[in-house]
Amino acid sequence: MIDKFVHIIRIYFAEAWLSYQGRFAITSPFGYIAGKLGFPFFLMLFFIFMGKYVGFSDPLYIVIGNILLIPASSGMGGVTLAISDERQWGTLSYVLGSPAPRGPVFMGRAFYYIVDGFVTALLGFGIAAGIFGLDLSTVNIFLLMICSLLIAVTSSGLGFLFGSISLVTRDGWMILSTFLSFLYILVGVNFPVASLPMILQKLSWGLPLTRGIMAARLVMEGEGWSSISSLITGEVLVGLVYIFIGYFFFLFLEKRSMHSGTLDAM
Amino acid sequence: MTHLRWGLIKQQMSVQFLVRTMNPLSLGLFVIQPAVFSAVGMLLSRAAGNSTPDLVYSVIGGGIMGMWSGLVFTSTFDIAGDRRNGMLELIVGSPTSLNLIESIRTFTNVLSGLFSLVLAFMAATFIFGYSFTGVNTWGVIVSLLLLLFAMWSIGVFLANFLAWSRLSGTFVDYLEMPIAFICGFMYPIRVLPVWLQHISGAIPIRWALEAMNESLLGSFDLKYLTIHWAMTIFLSLVLIAITTWMQVKVHDKIRLSGELSSI
Repeated sequence: MIDKFVHIIRIYFAEAWLSYQGRFAITSPFGYIAGKLGFPFFLMLFFIFMGKYVGFSDPLYIVIGNILLIPASSGMGGVTLAISDERQWGTLSYVLGSPAPRGPVFMGRAFYYIVDGFVTALLGFGIAAGIFGLDLSTVNIFLLMICSLLIAVTSSGLGFLFGSISLVTRDGWMILSTFLSFLYILVGVNFPVASLPMILQKLSWGLPLTRGIMAARLVMEGEGWSSISSLITGEVLVGLVYIFIGYFFFLFLEKRSMHSGTLDAM
Repeated sequence: MTHLRWGLIKQQMSVQFLVRTMNPLSLGLFVIQPAVFSAVGMLLSRAAGNSTPDLVYSVIGGGIMGMWSGLVFTSTFDIAGDRRNGMLELIVGSPTSLNLIESIRTFTNVLSGLFSLVLAFMAATFIFGYSFTGVNTWGVIVSLLLLLFAMWSIGVFLANFLAWSRLSGTFVDYLEMPIAFICGFMYPIRVLPVWLQHISGAIPIRWALEAMNESLLGSFDLKYLTIHWAMTIFLSLVLIAITTWMQVKVHDKIRLSGELSSI
């Protein structure tokens, strides 16, 4: 039992290290910084001025929401890429032919994406404090870190789901990008969920991130654990549901491919 | 000769439509992304307590956003794909100049982007009840044509910029949002700080867009419109001149070094 556990942990971190070498170690500093902070920063500015024009008086609401979306995008994108890239490079059949358990293999590859998103979000808060005057003096930084990390982890369940979808269609990345853009509307990034039409509010509560972002906002307002515990619990539960759905969907597709032998050809 | 050129244009446009436009990525760039941006604009307006959204900036501006995103990414993917597949040397070595091929491709990409703007106008009219009463129709038409010209000149510049150096790809990938942000695609430029308005003055799209938005809002100020149209034409021509000059320099370098794929 212990041997098996150690084996899984070893696979997890071996995959994480290989993924780091393959993805992050070759990135140029300019490409990395521009990709991590450039696009989100200008997108955030774009939304801020959209808000300013229509009379939305709280730009910091948009700043915080967009920063919190960084670890989510990173977590989702990491797992999706871990699966879809195998297909793109024609190596998926070798991975699936190996005896290694799928969970640690693909989740391990998402490890640095999650850490990266988490660190970028914290960096983003620091930059926002400098540029937009975000007041961090009353904020419980430890709780804020928990919320950011939780958002990155729970969103990786969606990554598994989209990664699995990328096994049955060549447009998996495109589908993920489209979904990510819907998050600007659905999970309370740019405006409160209460501003959405009722049907979209219901959809919003069924997604990971909504409660995590809400909890992080409360922490930013100086609230403590007692105020956010129910939101955190809800975020964990919703995130687990998506992680299980994503994982079992992946196993289902793998099993089906074993029968048909058409995984790479689809 | 003329017949051959028309054949080239027709064939290039046909291939470009099939390869770049008729795929799910384009659906995302031309339809879904603008719709999402428009929705964010309208919901922000709702959260701010406004009973009706601003259709010119929130909805039609979303269409402009779609045009721009489509242009940036399709132009980027064209050259990146040529380079990756080893076609760039063959294109440069062919009797037809790379500049001409990129001009036709970019023209096709701009026309494809127009689909996004047409959809935005249709959404504004049929879903949100936008009325064209009081609109300066000729102002809108002239501004739109100049906007397309400005986008084409930037697209040709970017496409050639990518051909000149592979490192430029890293830079171009991140142009989408900064240009949208400083040119005021979904809000009037006056909400930006003055220093940013000065920076955006160097981009031809900004002038054509301002003229189009003012015409949509019913401005008939001919002096204002003429200045904006003139600035659009002038800056677009400057971009085309830079593109042509740079292309000659790069071609000379290629002939000496024979290293297109590595520059």
